[in-house]
Amino acid sequence: MHPLLVQYRAVVVKEVRQTVRDRRVMALLTLAPLMQLFVLGFAVNFDVRRVPTAVVDRSRSVESREHARTLLAGDTLRLIAEPHDERSAATLLEDGETSVALVFPPSFEKDLLRGDGAWVQALVDGSDPVRSSVAVDAVARHAAARASTLGMEQARRLGREPPRSTVTLESRVLYNPALETAVYVVPGIAAMLLLIVTTLIMSMGLARERETGTLEQLQVTPLRSSVLMLGKVTPFLLVGLLDVGLALCVGAWVFGVPLRGSLLLVALATLLYLMSTLGTGLLIATASRTQQQAFVGGFLFMLPAVLLSGVMTSLRAIPDWLVWLTWLNPVRHYVEVLRGVLLKGAGLSDLWPQFLLLSGFGVLMLGIATRRFHKTAA
Amino acid sequence: MSAAETRDLELRDVRRSFGATQALRGVSLAVRQGEVYGLVGPDGAGKTTAMRILSGLLRPHEGSATVLGVDPAHPRGEARERLGLVPQRNTLYGDLSVDENLHFFASLFGLSRPDFEARRERLLHITRLGRFTERRADALSGGMYKKLALACALLHRPRVLLLDEPTNGVDPVSRRELWELLYGLVHEGMTLLVSTPYMDEAARCHRVGLLYEGQLIAEGEPRALARAHGVSPSDFESVFLAIIARRDGRAA
Ligand SMILES: Nc1ncnc2c1ncn2[C@@H]1O[C@H](COP(=O)(O)OP(=O)(O)OP(=O)(O)O)[C@@H](O)[C@H]1O
Ligand SMILES: [Mg+2]
Repeated sequence: MHPLLVQYRAVVVKEVRQTVRDRRVMALLTLAPLMQLFVLGFAVNFDVRRVPTAVVDRSRSVESREHARTLLAGDTLRLIAEPHDERSAATLLEDGETSVALVFPPSFEKDLLRGDGAWVQALVDGSDPVRSSVAVDAVARHAAARASTLGMEQARRLGREPPRSTVTLESRVLYNPALETAVYVVPGIAAMLLLIVTTLIMSMGLARERETGTLEQLQVTPLRSSVLMLGKVTPFLLVGLLDVGLALCVGAWVFGVPLRGSLLLVALATLLYLMSTLGTGLLIATASRTQQQAFVGGFLFMLPAVLLSGVMTSLRAIPDWLVWLTWLNPVRHYVEVLRGVLLKGAGLSDLWPQFLLLSGFGVLMLGIATRRFHKTAA
Repeated sequence: MSAAETRDLELRDVRRSFGATQALRGVSLAVRQGEVYGLVGPDGAGKTTAMRILSGLLRPHEGSATVLGVDPAHPRGEARERLGLVPQRNTLYGDLSVDENLHFFASLFGLSRPDFEARRERLLHITRLGRFTERRADALSGGMYKKLALACALLHRPRVLLLDEPTNGVDPVSRRELWELLYGLVHEGMTLLVSTPYMDEAARCHRVGLLYEGQLIAEGEPRALARAHGVSPSDFESVFLAIIARRDGRAA
């Protein structure tokens, strides 16, 4: 065997032995990601359902009761209290017992029948913007629907032609028809966990070699830094692939995440993505003297990487100049590949820009890390 | 053979500082082939810094270092194949066994399988580590650990060996064993540079250099140094104290 291959194999074997013998690292590599996938998959729920609602019906009329009934009939709002005035409704909101309070004024039915236009007041807890906007939306939709039926009834009563041209919105959700967040979020969480696990393992692993002095021992051997880097990266590429496999299984069985595209494409994207994350981990280690510094450095990189990836928030919700920055974020491209392949069955013809960027980052990161490592030696 | 060829290790007017600390302030020394050279000095004198420069881990800020005629920090690493280092710190893989450490470093030096087997056999024999091959390195005693470090440094049959305080934290019996082992290596033609804070060990060397605050303040054969300062060679410790006292007196 070529001497370089012998060295490479020795580093890989050593790395595997050290990893397998360290129970904490083994747990970090296998159990932790799975558990987090479970917990986060259930916890990160963007679906807003059953928003706790209080109804203050000061009209106590047939109309107000009918309105309240239809409003609460859907899945969005859930009646939990019927206080008799606004003040007690406000208290419920303040205490967090309810997120919405609907107030029907005493003159509600009278106004409505007179045709003057009646009003319903919705008090909303703005501290949870997603929930409050969904609730307001539900009320508004209801009001609009009622208004158009009332308009038609009124027209008929007055013997006029009902307004002919109305616009109705008929929306159809593609790719994720049940609008389940889990299906959308699980690939993102998988990418995020992979980022955390591999960046930390790699940066702390190399920092440990520096801290304990083994790196010096390596530097007096003919081992080249590129061979050392490749040897250190290889086992964790495999572990990362395994982690993604596990995540896909859990995603499919527990959260119903489909696999519409090619598994091979997922594997390829994962390998490229891991080159970036592992390379970044090594790069962080070259700038750290201790494992603790590497740990902190890892987090300083990972926080923005996750926040600017579209895993947790939509990229449409952030300012334009930040969106430009997300182009430099491998997490973003990997999540796009995962969602594309898993949910839409996308292929290389759709995703080649992402693949190109991921390969670029991977080679760049590993390359810079190796060069920097070389320089920091003496 | 010319004089240059017989100089296996050489520092020429080497200066190196860390921030404001001047670890080496113009040190020149040469170690001849087959010689045991003792680098003696108190804590912080610059012994480790000199060792690290000779093993290519550090570059001098001024001056130069050569090992067997080549720059030890050269990226090609020619010197590395012929140099062994036993560092002051424990720098083997503590979570790997004795055998695993040996095999790992042998692979890095490109030893073939049969060559490794033969080397392993021999090194385990001379270090008497044969019974502990399965033991994790960090479970070894101080003396055994140093012997394992020595074995790892000898795997590739280096011509020169650098030992940085090899007997630190080693009991007296193991210390003697270790020195016997080192002399065995010298008989085979190896060149040794040993640093130590212990005077009794310095007396075992062919030549010693006294390193003090980054400068080599005296150099010579232990007996000659003792005679020159009017102390008995068995009380080598006083030699150092006498030299330092005279130097500090002159400086004041
Ligand atoms: N990497 C470093 N960063 C900062 N200062 C350093 C570094 N290495 C050595 N020094 C400083 O340089 C001086 C010489 O250190 P060196 O380790 O060479 O001494 P030494 O003779 O080996 O001491 P000891 O017997 O304690 O091992 C000391 O003052 C030390 O604090
Ligand atoms: Mg030292």
